[in-house]
Parts: sequence; structure tokens; C-alpha cells
Amino acid sequence: MEVKEPRKPGGSDGSELGETARQMRAAQPYVSAVWKLVGGAVVGVLGGYWLDKWLETGPWLMVVLSLVGICVGFYGFLHEMSRLGRRK
Amino acid sequence: MRKAMVLFASLFAATAWAAGSEDDVPGYILHHVVDSPYLEIEVPLGSPIHAVDLPQILVPLKAEGCAPKMTEHGQEIPGLTEGCLDLSITKHTIMMWLAALLLLATMFIWSNRDKTKLVPRGAGANLIEMLVLFVRDELAIKNIGKEEGPRYVPYLLTAFFFVLFMNLLGLIPWMATATGNLAVTAALALCTFIITQLAGIRAAGLGGYLKHLTGGVAPWLWPIMIPVEVLGLFTKPFALTMRLFANMLAGHIVLFFLLGLIFILGHPAVAAVSVPFAFAIYLLELFVAFVQAYVFTMLSALFIGMSVAMGHHHDDHGHESEVGPSHDHGKAHHI
Repeated sequence: MEVKEPRKPGGSDGSELGETARQMRAAQPYVSAVWKLVGGAVVGVLGGYWLDKWLETGPWLMVVLSLVGICVGFYGFLHEMSRLGRRK
Repeated sequence: MRKAMVLFASLFAATAWAAGSEDDVPGYILHHVVDSPYLEIEVPLGSPIHAVDLPQILVPLKAEGCAPKMTEHGQEIPGLTEGCLDLSITKHTIMMWLAALLLLATMFIWSNRDKTKLVPRGAGANLIEMLVLFVRDELAIKNIGKEEGPRYVPYLLTAFFFVLFMNLLGLIPWMATATGNLAVTAALALCTFIITQLAGIRAAGLGGYLKHLTGGVAPWLWPIMIPVEVLGLFTKPFALTMRLFANMLAGHIVLFFLLGLIFILGHPAVAAVSVPFAFAIYLLELFVAFVQAYVFTMLSALFIGMSVAMGHHHDDHGHESEVGPSHDHGKAHHI
């Protein structure tokens, strides 16, 4: 019975990849996790600021949404890190 | 070689002399590195500056037509209009067209169209082959992979040579560096961004790509997580835009400032130091022109490769792979 080899990054065994490409690919999930942490707060603050301007409710929506954004960012970060830990 | 060096040094000195006719050195430098709606031809040691006005093309988007853009205090912002699409031809547009024409001419002259002769003959053809092979083997394959890499070589080669020609054009007297313009580098980065996303969609399938944008969290968190992930997509092209623009602009400003030192310090003896320094920076800029084209292409290949890898391993982002790659990896690619 034929055993199918697992697919490697780039559709090959990945041995031809340069050192930079290998390191960047290895770091990518961690960079993505950190971006979730930062991005959550950024999206919350900017979204709240914009909604406050539109609905003239300042500064309440910005305060609430920035807190929500920080919490979601933290959750996304921890979720990603625990998944990466399990994969190891 | 010595004659060429003397010629270059005289050219620098003449440019510096021309700069002396301006009182405001930083203003003069800024005027030369930013885009403008006319082409200037300065004759070294000659008095008048010949300017060729370029056509202004404004397409009105509103019924009332175009109006000058105003600041909050009601002051007119020169060069900016409101209510119309500005398709005016500028100095940098001309430089881009010139780079494209030179690139096409170079490729037509030195590319091998006789398929029976596989060995390139002559210095030009060998140089082009060396650069093409470098982009394919060292940039595309080493960053994307040997099966997926060759697919993106045509784009990477186009970007490499176009950026290289624009960088080199900026080092020729009377020309300008189009890559020192934020709009040009942003457009180039946008091309890389589109190809990167298409590579991701191709590798993961549209479903897998969209699933990746949810960040692998519960659906009720998507209203926050989707904007976070979408915003994250733009960080890479933003870095690509800024670093090419800043590197090219900074080099030219340094070059001009070294010559401007003669007039800032106001003594002809400064020329003995600043002209050789400017010449050295000019040679460095020649090297930088190649390095920046290489870095832009390398980063583009790296981002495409990361997108392809993420598509194949999109459980990295918390989603088990349900959607298989939409293409056959067994096929060999030829260029």
C-alpha cells in the first residue's frame, strides 16, 4: 500500500529553502499571535473613536471598545499560544 | 579610468556650482528630489534652466468640476485638487516610462530568441542571464520553494528589473529617481500584496484563506478579530513601501547635501572634501541601486513564500486543513 508523504511548505520537502525563509516561516505563527495582541487594542481604540465621532457619544464607545479589543486580543494571543504549545 | 573619475568629479563640481546660484540649499535639494509637473534640464556652467511643462490631466468626478484643495484655515494647498481624478503626467511618470522603455529595449536586444542556441553570447546576454538565474535560483526558489517558486519568477523578474532601472536612472544627470516617490513604491508594494494574497488563495483555496482571516477564534469574536487580521495583511506591503522609498530618497539627499556643504559653509576649500565624498556616495548609490532592487524582490518572494506556506499549513492559525491545495504539485514548472 502506498503511503502518502506529508506535504511540506512550498509543496516540496523544503530542503531548498534559504535560511531566512525557513526562519521567517518558523516565526510566522508567533508573529501572528503577537499581532493579535496588539491589533485587538488598535482596532478597539480606532473603532471606538470612529463610532464616537459618528454617533457623538464620546468618549464612551472608545473606552468600552478599547477594553473589548484588549480582551479579545489577549484571548486571541493565548488561544494561539496554547495551540502552538499543543502542536509542539 | 582616471579620465572617467576626473569627468565625474568635474560634473559634480559643476552641479555644485549650479546649486550655488540658489540661496536656500535645503529648498533646492527638496525641489530636486520631489516630483514636479515639469522636466528641468540644467546645463552645467550655463545660466538658464530649461523647463518643459508636462500635460495636466484632470478628470472631474463631480458635476461642479475640480477645485483647489483647501486647508482647514481656508488656504489653498498648491498642487492638490478636490473633486477630480488627477492623472497628470509628472517628472517621475516620465522616469517610469523611460525605465520601462529601456527595460524592454534591453530585453529585446539581449534576450535569446533563437531557441536552437541555448548558450548566451556576448557580455550583455550573459549579464542578463546571470541576473535572471540569480532571481530564479536565489530569490524565488530559496524563498518560495522549488515547485511553487518558478510560477512567481516572471513577476519577481519584472519587479527586480523595473526597480533596478528606475534606481539607476536616478543616478544619471537630468534624470530623477521615481523610486524616491512614495506613490511609486506604494504601487509596487500593492502589486506584491495582490500576488501574495492570490498565492495564499491558490494554496489554501478561497475557503481556507477566508477561514484564516477569522484568526481561529469563536464566531462571536469575529467582528474584532477579522479587522485585526485584515489590518495585519497590510503591515508587510507597508514595510515594503516605506523602506524602498526612504532608502532611495535618503541616498540622494545625502549626495546633494554633501555638495550643498560648499555653499552652507561658504568657502571654496570645502569642495576639496565634499566633492570626493559626494563621488564616493555616488558610487555607493550605484551599489545601493542594485541592493534595493534585490531587497525589494527578496522580500516580495519571502512574503509570497510565507503566504504559500501558510496556505499549505493553515492549521498554523488554528484551523485544521479541510480545503486541500487547489493545484497539482507533481507538475514540473518550466520557464
